[in-house]
Amino acid sequence: MEANKTNNYGASFKRSPIFYIVTRIVVLFFIIIIIFPLLYTLSLSVRSPETVYSARYFLIPYEFSFANYIDAFVNAEQKLKVSFPRMFLNSAVVTSLSVTLIISMSIFAAFAFSHLRFPLKESLYNVMIASVAMPAQVLLIPLFYILIYLGIINTYQAVILAYAGFLIPIGILILRMFYEQIPYELTEAGTVDGASDFQLLMKVLLPLAKPAIATCVILLFLDTWNEFIYAMIFMQDPTIHTVPVGLAKIGTSRYQVNIGTYSASVMITIIPVMIIFAVFQRWFIAGMTMGALKH
Amino acid sequence: MIYKTFHFKTLLYLLPAVFIFLTFNVIPGLTSLVLSFFDFTGFETNLFRNFVGIDNFIKIYEDKYFWIALKNTFLFVFGAVFIQTGIALILSIFIFFGNFKFSVLVRSIIFFPCVLAPVSVGLVWKKILEQDGVLNSILGLDYSWLSSVSLVMWLIIMVNTWQWIGYNLVIYYAGLQSMNIELLEASDIDGANWSQKIFTIVIPLLWPTTILNMILNLIGGFRAFDIVYVLTRGGPAHYSEVLASYLYYYSFSAGGPNKMGVGASVAFVIFACILTIAVARIIVSKKLRKES
Repeated sequence: MEANKTNNYGASFKRSPIFYIVTRIVVLFFIIIIIFPLLYTLSLSVRSPETVYSARYFLIPYEFSFANYIDAFVNAEQKLKVSFPRMFLNSAVVTSLSVTLIISMSIFAAFAFSHLRFPLKESLYNVMIASVAMPAQVLLIPLFYILIYLGIINTYQAVILAYAGFLIPIGILILRMFYEQIPYELTEAGTVDGASDFQLLMKVLLPLAKPAIATCVILLFLDTWNEFIYAMIFMQDPTIHTVPVGLAKIGTSRYQVNIGTYSASVMITIIPVMIIFAVFQRWFIAGMTMGALKH
Repeated sequence: MIYKTFHFKTLLYLLPAVFIFLTFNVIPGLTSLVLSFFDFTGFETNLFRNFVGIDNFIKIYEDKYFWIALKNTFLFVFGAVFIQTGIALILSIFIFFGNFKFSVLVRSIIFFPCVLAPVSVGLVWKKILEQDGVLNSILGLDYSWLSSVSLVMWLIIMVNTWQWIGYNLVIYYAGLQSMNIELLEASDIDGANWSQKIFTIVIPLLWPTTILNMILNLIGGFRAFDIVYVLTRGGPAHYSEVLASYLYYYSFSAGGPNKMGVGASVAFVIFACILTIAVARIIVSKKLRKES
């Protein structure tokens, strides 16, 4: 276990009591800073409506209750015209379809970039690299009109295609890099055996590319599940609001909800992600680290 | 077999992805640049009817809130590039060399906010920073933090740092794990103490990782919208507006001026900033390669 392993990079770090104490204090400080806001919101959400403004040491409620969660579900349904389960369904549909679409197209396009020849290859690739650095808001206004002309504004397709256009370079970048790292001998052996390029991709490259595809899935999942501005503007019909859009409406509405309901609404969006993260944390951290190295 | 020259079949692999990329990324990007020279509100059928030259740019040039948004964007990017990267650097060194028993758990906790939606994070902090929020109860104050013109941008930077510090941390950690430790062992023999080691060996060795983190935060900084939107909506009185939220306000906001052409010219400015940085980066990296 890595948790029990201590490193040996130089004795002076271990010998110094000052270093030992300073690291403990600083790291503990940051852990508290990170945990406190989340714990505080959780604490607010499980207080009974009568005791919501008071708790022992800011955190431990005098009276536990799930009334705020029931309120949060009712409030969303009445004020937003879209329930929390429906928001989660909308987000799940948009996320799963976008990620599937992007990855299935990237698998083939990245292969063309890594193993095949075509005119303007590197120019096109450079445009893709440049587009990764562009903020999504630059495309907002023209995309809005393109989606209107296509007649798909206010549908799932609008956001799915916008995400696909915006995120496809990430899939292609990561997969191309990975395909090119696969030893030349492996693909060479395939071609000598008379495999077509399609067979080569399917039988040799793809089975090896599973970790790269997993990285893509994680990055694209986070990007699409958490995305806000496209989802807000391209799907203004309340019944197809995604989780962040619905939550932002609850949280910034002029008709203030009470603080318990507010906190419960926020926690409803955080808890599922927390559970998924707890299960797959290694993959999340490895995926985001690998994804960062593409730059 | 692999064709050594261009073959028609290659298009089959390429076309779906390139078609989507061009239609929903390149073409809108270029259209956005063109649209910044037209005046339209979003209700016309032909957006390109009313050519106004550089009027939209003059409009934002004369608007003091545009300059506030531009200044705030640069402030935000500065915070992300220097403050956030700096804290992550120190934290990663402390965790790595501190011999923590639960270093995996520590990293996971600090990383966790990265997987949350910025909207959720913004709303968590909004209640804490409000006038009757818990920050005032802890400090014994009655201060309206998010209405303070001078503080509001720093608070937004702080919330953003809170969310993304773990991202820089795990990237630094990967850098530390792949670091050449022979130098550290050698310095032990020379009797170097821990602070000398950190400043003269570890931080210089981490330089490439620092550059990577800075670039990631630079790109992320120009994207900032969600946190500003849920925390302040650009308020008080547009003093926490960043370029992206200023664009939203001008083009889409329900109570806004609904001038999409002006919004497109703001997009032009963002585009120009990113392009300048990208070109500068290419030139610098070419120079560095020549020198080495």
